[in-house]
Amino acid sequence: MSKEIKKVEKPEKIKKGWDGISNYFRANSIWMLMYCTGCCAIELPQAMTSRYDMERLGMGPMATPRQADVILVTGYLSVKTLRRVIYAYEQMSEPKYLVAFGPCAINGGIYYDSHAVIKQLDQYLPIDIYIAGCMPKPEAVMNGFKDLIEMIKSKKATGWRKYRDNNAWYKANQIHALGEVRIKDEFHE
Amino acid sequence: MNSMNNNVADLVKDVEARFNVLSVDYPKDDQVSFDFDNRDLHSALSYLRSAGWIQLSILSCIDWIDENEFQLVYIIFNWENPIRIQVRTRIDRKEAKFRTITSIYPGAKYYERDVHEFFGVEFEGNPDSNKQLFLENWDDMPPLRKDFDSIAYSDSKYPKREYKTDFSKKAGDK
Repeated sequence: MSKEIKKVEKPEKIKKGWDGISNYFRANSIWMLMYCTGCCAIELPQAMTSRYDMERLGMGPMATPRQADVILVTGYLSVKTLRRVIYAYEQMSEPKYLVAFGPCAINGGIYYDSHAVIKQLDQYLPIDIYIAGCMPKPEAVMNGFKDLIEMIKSKKATGWRKYRDNNAWYKANQIHALGEVRIKDEFHE
Repeated sequence: MNSMNNNVADLVKDVEARFNVLSVDYPKDDQVSFDFDNRDLHSALSYLRSAGWIQLSILSCIDWIDENEFQLVYIIFNWENPIRIQVRTRIDRKEAKFRTITSIYPGAKYYERDVHEFFGVEFEGNPDSNKQLFLENWDDMPPLRKDFDSIAYSDSKYPKREYKTDFSKKAGDK
């Protein structure tokens, strides 16, 4: 391994310009992976179908994490689900955004005393935007998505970069809560 | 309605004639519960199965911590004669061990794993009894036992969010 790969640094101006252009396109076509973990997922059908019609924002459902831009964590997360969400989030290609619904992702909500439910999602995965409400109404969901689009345009949605830069911190937190992130059940043996 | 009540009465008479029933209860019109000594449970279940109660709907467990006992509740169902039967028995809490019923109801395999995981009851004869089913990498006592402190476990494992303002008080309070 004597050869070192040289990284060619683009001039700052071009880099910024290119980022701005790509962010414009990213903001106008967001494909989402709905990880319907809790009850907030029930508000998504209204937001997606004709009444609120999410598609007019350029958002659509996507089948696999590798093709998705944004992952929606809709509600409480049990430790068992958190493992799967981490799997899904790490499979997504960058840039990726995470939207958390409801109070359960903030402080555990009504599951604050449960042995099986985590309290703060942002300890384990970076969150770009929270949507408040138990459950958030479709208006709030749409408003949250519009805010997300604005954040992407103005380069404030940088959770994925945070996850890459502070990966050791996130991993340590995940291991403290989960013991081991790897999924081992009889269906994976 | 009448015929159904007669049905239930006949069933109770039949079971009482064959086994030593500790107590009979009627939670609802179409439900009967029998309490058996844990030595009689298997013969009672296999008799009821041959009498038409072919479906084990669920196996549940109750932790009577003051009496130092676990109560196992087998709910069985008959598709020809719509009476739900709860077959109940008590076992010692300290040495929580019981014999499997997988030879009578094969589907009990998973319910027994469930009860083992959440209450720590060992089912002898069920080869998968110790395998994990719902909880992954569990490292404490079974969580649905009454002496398990859920809040303490949760606080030690999943950090609480700290707030600078105390939101639990109302606006007017001091």
